[in-house]
Amino acid sequence: MVGIGYRKDFSEEFLNSDIISPSFIEVAPENWLGVGGYWKKQFQKALERYPLFTHGLSLSIGSPDELDFQFLANVKAFLKETGAELYSEHLSYAKCDNAHLYDLLPIPFTEDAVKHVAERIRKVQDFLEQKIAIEIVSYYTPVAPEITEIDFINTILQEADCELLLDVNNVYVNAFNHKYDARQFIEQLDLDRVRYIHMAGHEQVSDSLIIDTHGEAIIVPVYDLLEYTLELLGRDVPVLLERDFNIPEMEALQAEIRKLSNIKETVLKRTAHAVA
Amino acid sequence: MQLLKQTRQYQSELAGYCRTGILQQIPGIHTGNVVQYRKLVMNVVDDILQNAYPLTYDLLTGAEWDALVAKFFAGHSCKSPQVWYMPKELIGYMVDTDHALLKQYPMLLNLLQFEWLETEMFMMQDIPVPLTRNGDLLFSKLVLNPEHRLMVLEYPVHRKKPSDIRPEDQQAYYLAAHRDEEGQVVFTELSPALLRAVEHLQERAISIQELYQLIEQDFGIQLTETDHLAIIQFIQQAYAEELIKGFAPVT
Repeated sequence: MVGIGYRKDFSEEFLNSDIISPSFIEVAPENWLGVGGYWKKQFQKALERYPLFTHGLSLSIGSPDELDFQFLANVKAFLKETGAELYSEHLSYAKCDNAHLYDLLPIPFTEDAVKHVAERIRKVQDFLEQKIAIEIVSYYTPVAPEITEIDFINTILQEADCELLLDVNNVYVNAFNHKYDARQFIEQLDLDRVRYIHMAGHEQVSDSLIIDTHGEAIIVPVYDLLEYTLELLGRDVPVLLERDFNIPEMEALQAEIRKLSNIKETVLKRTAHAVA
Repeated sequence: MQLLKQTRQYQSELAGYCRTGILQQIPGIHTGNVVQYRKLVMNVVDDILQNAYPLTYDLLTGAEWDALVAKFFAGHSCKSPQVWYMPKELIGYMVDTDHALLKQYPMLLNLLQFEWLETEMFMMQDIPVPLTRNGDLLFSKLVLNPEHRLMVLEYPVHRKKPSDIRPEDQQAYYLAAHRDEEGQVVFTELSPALLRAVEHLQERAISIQELYQLIEQDFGIQLTETDHLAIIQFIQQAYAEELIKGFAPVT
């Protein structure tokens, strides 16, 4: 399965042509909760055609603030109403001091943050009565780190007993920005927990910094990293193409979907032969 | 295990930096790269506000707009987890802080309210209402479109370019905004009598004949044949544009 992030920017063309043929769509509940009128009609059309995966933005799982259970109740109702197959969120925080920031900030890699975040993920899973997948975010600076990023992530996954949304582009971006080996990083992840994969483009803004823009086509090294990841996984995992800005022609998005599908098929065949 | 005070503080300082641009000493932070967070956050906020208030953005100078956005995000704790809803909080912030721009541009509050109303109505949840399309505009009980709002303005921001509005334009303007089947938001300017008519329709489905009586009671007048024709014309237009959505089902 290869899906695409369903965006209002290309909704009309997406629904009124058959140029794009994803296996599923993904939305952020925040962008559709409590929305009626034109956009609800468009969303209903999309839901009639495609299975839905969801990827939240505002839960702020790493926040020092209290969890917003009213918001979570709205998300739960949304998941039920839409029949969403999955709810994922970011391993970051987007709210602090009771103020939403509308972007994803890096959590300090510390032992107390691990405990704090894991406990909150467990609470969310209990409340939603389902496991959630947590995404490794791209980050541009560490914040008061005491432990390694890989230990931070793996311990949270283990203590929260949640699933992992592996954003391969984010790993690539982080490896570049923080000067480590992306493949080695992926090898060290608890890969049994990978439920879902994200792929996207990025923008290199200097010799030492890449920004995770979702505004460019996926580059070859990130495709290669996906192939490597899928080989390690040795099983079929849904992959999503994210494109949020600088939206190209539908044909270009379909070409990326096709490329992702081809990589998946090739690797799955290869691993099936290897097992046989 | 609770989050340590120090970790909490570092998170607060990073968030504070994104909101204010003032960076505290945070261990391990890459000072060259941390600016990206401030840029990313402010780009999102600025973009969302520009999209919600395009007329206000055009009215203000670049410096006024930038200062407004920066002070709003630094001084106000945004409550909505849904970013599309965040612009509404700008209006509350400006009123609560008695913002200088509201004095400098007397029509600005109305302009912000008018622009936000369009966004909010375009996005608002669907409201089902029992009705039938079979009826007679002159005799059946009329059902108001539940997806509507009434608004009173002091300045004609719905009619004139904001920069063309003069102090002498100040008076009461009554507006109805509703969402049609296509999802588009339609504004209708109302006279005081038609405003009362819509307010009566908000309470329950009523016929034109009942409306005549209610308006006569409200204003202590006897409606003329010309008045009746004006009300009929308004109802016909309101029905065509879906401010009146249909007729009460006969039980």
